[in-house]
Amino acid sequence: MSRINDVGGMAGFPAIVEEADEPRFHADWEAHVFALNGALIKRGVYNLDEFRDAQERLPVEQYLAASYYERWFAAITTLLAEKGVASADDLAVGDDSAH
Amino acid sequence: MSHDSSLISAQVRHVEALLEQRGLLDAGEIDTRIDEFLAGGTPANGARIVARAWVDPGFASRLLADANGAIREIGLSMAGGLQEQRLKVVANTDGEHNVVVCTLCSCYPIALLGPSPGWYKSEAYRSRVVRDPRGVLREFGVELPAGTQVSVWDASAESRYLVLPRRPEGTEGLAEDELAALVTRKGLIGTAAV
Amino acid sequence: MTPRTDRFAVGDRVRTRTVDVDGHTRLPRYARGAVGVVVQPAGVHPLADDRARGVSGPPQTVYHVRFAAADLFGAGDHTVTVELWNDYLTPVEGP
Repeated sequence: MSRINDVGGMAGFPAIVEEADEPRFHADWEAHVFALNGALIKRGVYNLDEFRDAQERLPVEQYLAASYYERWFAAITTLLAEKGVASADDLAVGDDSAH
Repeated sequence: MSHDSSLISAQVRHVEALLEQRGLLDAGEIDTRIDEFLAGGTPANGARIVARAWVDPGFASRLLADANGAIREIGLSMAGGLQEQRLKVVANTDGEHNVVVCTLCSCYPIALLGPSPGWYKSEAYRSRVVRDPRGVLREFGVELPAGTQVSVWDASAESRYLVLPRRPEGTEGLAEDELAALVTRKGLIGTAAV
Repeated sequence: MTPRTDRFAVGDRVRTRTVDVDGHTRLPRYARGAVGVVVQPAGVHPLADDRARGVSGPPQTVYHVRFAAADLFGAGDHTVTVELWNDYLTPVEGP
């Protein structure tokens, strides 16, 4: 079924906004998320289509509320849990006893 | 758009540490990848391609027929990312203006040009430009004659796209590097004339 | 492996599939069930729909397919060229 990412031709989104002097990343963590995704795909933990799929499967309200790299990070943690790399508990901050 | 930056920063650091513990990341690997990426992709690469095409018709022909091969002639490549991607260059002419979008996500030649601008990734641009490109281009300050054919390219599969803008009038005396300085990132996407 | 022969030639008219698949796909909704013209082959790749499910299908030709905006949206004098896997396409007979 058509997913939230499939927006071509849809009406109702806000106006297009250009950001003056836009930096390549808006925060250090965005660059880290970008690099982390590349590293995991290169290692074969998941592939690029699985990564896109994981973004598209985010709950719609979360997808629309999230920034671009917040979506990426949500997809990465979703896939790490689904692939059995780490449990959701391990992935959550605040559990420094992860082992 | 940015919510609690300190919280997500901590979350990302935590996941990186966890992956290092489990042998899925090497220490320093993320920093190295970031440095390599930032050093590799820049819109200046696209501007160099365009300027060479403007001064060298043979290069322009090769660029339109096989962009990956042509850009190797000037030391550039589409292999800087996860794998070499096919580059498709589309040329603006007197009668045709091209504009590029990825309606399904945000496909863009990042290994060559660096990260795409925020507006390119926005639902606003991606939803509208396939349906009303003239209206979108007008908002970007590009007013096209009614007789100009508008061609939208949706990067829905494995190719990445670059628009070859028309060489501005009155630039006959300029050197190649001066021509490159005229080319903007928006010109390479098709939301500016040059 | 035997050399593959492209199923479509430049200039062929094709119709995109109408099925609204339950999963990842790279056929945009706005181009579903539409008739367009093959502009150029764009390489050979496994179907993205399969890869997203962790399945590695055989590589197949991907094509640039051009649509008239009026055929997609009922209005507009522009064209939209979409890059589509062979499996998304069926031939359209006649002129």
